[in-house]
Amino acid sequence: MADVWQGTLALMVLKTLEGLGPLHGYGIARRIEQTSSNHLSVNYGTIYPALLKLEQEGYISSEWGVSENNRRAKFYRLTRAGRKHLEREARSWELTTEILSRFLAPRESS
Amino acid sequence: MRRLRALWVRLADVVRPGRRDRDFDEELASHLQLHIDDNLAVGMPPDEARRVAIVRLGGIAQTHERYRDRARLPFVDAVAQDILYAFRTFRKNRGFALTAMLTLALGIGSTSAIFSAINAVLLRPLPFADSDRLVMVYGVARSARGVDMHDSVSYPNFADWRDLAATLEGAGAYANRPLTVTTAAGESRVIRGKQVTPSLFGVLGVRPALGRAFRPDEDQPALSRVVILSDGFWRQRLGGDPQVLGRTLQINDTPFTIVGVMAPDFHIDVAEMEQLYAPLPVDATRNHEFLRVIARLRSDASARQAQADLDEVCRRLAQLYPRTNEGVGANVEPLVDAIAGPGRLALLILFAVVTVVLLIACTNVASLLLARGATRQREMAVRAALGAGRGRLVRQLLVESLLLALAGGIAGLFVADWLARGLVAMVSDVAPVPRLDATRTDMWVVAFTTSVSLITGIVFGIAPALVSASTGLNEALRDAGRSSTGGRAPRIRRGLVVLETALALVLLAGAGALTKTLLTMRATPPGFSAENLLVVNLYMPPTRLSALESRVPFFDATLARIRGLPGVRDAAFVADLPLSGASDSESFHIPGRPDPAPNRWFNAGFNIASSHYFRTMGIRIGEGRDFQDSDTTGAPGVIVINQTAAKRFWPDRSAIGQQIDLPVTRQKTVRLTVVGVADDVRHVGLAVPPRPEVFVNSLQSELTWPSVVLAVRTANHPSGLADAVKGAVHETGTGAVLVRIDTLDAVIARSMAQPRLFTSLLGAFAVAAVVLAAVGLYGLISFSVAQRAHEMGIRVALGASRSEIVRLALGEGVGLAVAGTAIGVAGGLAVTRALVGLMAGIQPNDPLTFAVVATMLLVCACLASYVPARRAAAADPLMALRAE
Repeated sequence: MADVWQGTLALMVLKTLEGLGPLHGYGIARRIEQTSSNHLSVNYGTIYPALLKLEQEGYISSEWGVSENNRRAKFYRLTRAGRKHLEREARSWELTTEILSRFLAPRESS
Repeated sequence: MRRLRALWVRLADVVRPGRRDRDFDEELASHLQLHIDDNLAVGMPPDEARRVAIVRLGGIAQTHERYRDRARLPFVDAVAQDILYAFRTFRKNRGFALTAMLTLALGIGSTSAIFSAINAVLLRPLPFADSDRLVMVYGVARSARGVDMHDSVSYPNFADWRDLAATLEGAGAYANRPLTVTTAAGESRVIRGKQVTPSLFGVLGVRPALGRAFRPDEDQPALSRVVILSDGFWRQRLGGDPQVLGRTLQINDTPFTIVGVMAPDFHIDVAEMEQLYAPLPVDATRNHEFLRVIARLRSDASARQAQADLDEVCRRLAQLYPRTNEGVGANVEPLVDAIAGPGRLALLILFAVVTVVLLIACTNVASLLLARGATRQREMAVRAALGAGRGRLVRQLLVESLLLALAGGIAGLFVADWLARGLVAMVSDVAPVPRLDATRTDMWVVAFTTSVSLITGIVFGIAPALVSASTGLNEALRDAGRSSTGGRAPRIRRGLVVLETALALVLLAGAGALTKTLLTMRATPPGFSAENLLVVNLYMPPTRLSALESRVPFFDATLARIRGLPGVRDAAFVADLPLSGASDSESFHIPGRPDPAPNRWFNAGFNIASSHYFRTMGIRIGEGRDFQDSDTTGAPGVIVINQTAAKRFWPDRSAIGQQIDLPVTRQKTVRLTVVGVADDVRHVGLAVPPRPEVFVNSLQSELTWPSVVLAVRTANHPSGLADAVKGAVHETGTGAVLVRIDTLDAVIARSMAQPRLFTSLLGAFAVAAVVLAAVGLYGLISFSVAQRAHEMGIRVALGASRSEIVRLALGEGVGLAVAGTAIGVAGGLAVTRALVGLMAGIQPNDPLTFAVVATMLLVCACLASYVPARRAAAADPLMALRAE
């Protein structure tokens, strides 16, 4: 589960940023939690190494800004490379899940 | 790509860690604040809101930790820490760090210096296209007369090798020819020239810079009156005139048309920088061996395959031409090695020597590290107790030794540059090694030095690191400070000292054998008197002085004129001067006696001399007479032999009046009578025992020899007569060309210079090795007595005398040195045997040499152990006991 988590977490972060625009780490973590309808309840802290990795790879960039309730926070935004990466990864993920679901789906009676 | 980018960012953060940490502190604070705001908004009490936020985060410290692992490179981080730590320990132990670094700088520096010379001479490609495919093919003749090595090749054999060996893409040949060039003013000069096959330039892959190469048909005698100039000749003699093509040059009294000029720096063989190239006419004589052959291997063939191929070709040729080719073989050698010549062996031996010095330096530093490890036992134990694994400790210690090695390497690079300059300057004065002057501290040398440093760092670091890091934790903490003499580290250190003593002895033995040879040379009376003797090298151009009839008047006229000069006692001609290095040998029959073996005749060194030769040289005639003026061309053939020859060939009777039959050509044999027995002269080298020698008379020998030496015995110092002699030679007008004029003293000094240089080089390295070994022993004994201060204190307290304490400490050192010496003698025997190829006259296994060097080494060892032993004995036992 941990390995899948690592890979999917990055994808979820990118997707969240694509959907919501620039967002801080806390916001991203909450959003992922909500979207997964609380199926995924991991520590929020795990989001930060993932964000750092994406930033080191140049898929996202960060900037200090002010949140809607006037708190200073570091905002992450998708870069162009990140957008492309997201597209690519999303497609390959869809393909994977499709194949997998075909395997796992109950066989139609012949 | 993305990974690389990430790695780069992480590396950057390793270097400046603070900024990102602070940034993340703020980010976490902001995260918690946002979460707390939300929690408060849903009505949690403030304490609860904060607690929940931290719990959901997964802990502040933990998050920090995970973040930092991603932010930086944990391994690099730790190593960077190790490096900082190492620097701090070195700063605290400056003496240790400096000693180790200097020792390594010397070891690594000497190795790199010799490497830079090897790189220039042997590794750098030759300035020819695809030069790694070029080989020199020597001729080897195992004649019926015994084992006889020739290195030249006859024209027909060269042509057959070229055409029949499938592994050769092409081959060219050349012959070294001194050429007489006559200027418009009528002055003749001897110029180094080469006659080359038209194919040779193509084989080397070079073209003239100006004009054209030789055409394939210019090896026909009618068309071969063309010449290509070297760049040097063109610039110096013809002023670099670009209109020079088509002009003629008087060479050997024949006009040659200039057709080309080679590029600057082009020389076929760098040892003999030739100035002119002329086409080599086809020569049909299969036993006239005078050519050097350079071949280009096919791109898919190796030198080894070419050797096998040529062996087969030679076998076939021997069947086709049994009379000339029986036992004639070929020997393939890469051209780069062939050009380096004897310099190659000298360089490789020197490299082995410096490697041994480096090994000794490594042992010393390893020993130092072990000693330091013993004093750091407590530190290691504390770090282990705090959770450092064994791997971590080993890494820390290895980082330290690698740092030391790299620092040593950097300093060594300067040492190498300095040493290499000195070496090149010293060698080029004495023994020109081709391409040695191109020695540079270049990228290759830097790369070599770096790798050697890293390897030495691991070599000397690994054992001490493993030993120090594996000390039992409990033990170390319990008796910290009071180390026992047992344990692994001291045993390894003793082993290292034995090893370096042995290595030092090996080098000393080599240097000793060379020194002994040099001393023998000095002490050996050469058998002639060298003072007041002028030596004039003359070249007899084949166009004017090749036949005996033309030589006789030249010899007679010159001798008469020179002997008539005021201040001249006598004068004579000889083909090979003693100690000149040149030596020919011939085989002959003794009438009325069977040959020593079927197909093997009697054999002796042969020389050609004129009348009064022995008198002029101051060589005593023990029996019979010198050559006289009456031994002329028509008179009965006479020879003078040396004592060794007399004893060898006529052991039971007087040699005077005995005769030999010397085959001159295939059909003709001349009978020669012994008229004199001269004392032995060291002919080949001062350290080489005399061999049987036969002198034939210059007026009676039809052997062709292009150069001759005129020896002039003078009443006073000969330098004043040089001009008069030069003038007299010129005035005879016989066409002989003066090559060099010198005193015999200078000739002898030159014959000593090369062995002396090599001896001093090897000697210097051997001394360095002994010093290093002594330092190692000194360090070991000092450390050992310091560690045993407690024990010594008790001994003294119980009534042991000072001298007993000294003997105890001294015994340890000397015992180790004796063990090392014994092992070293075995290695030394092998090394002195290897040196035989380098210097004529070396006696391997000479017991006296070994006795002397072993004693020298043991004396040094005694001194090195005595100093700390004295100190131990002088220490106050009370202090030693109280120090606990």
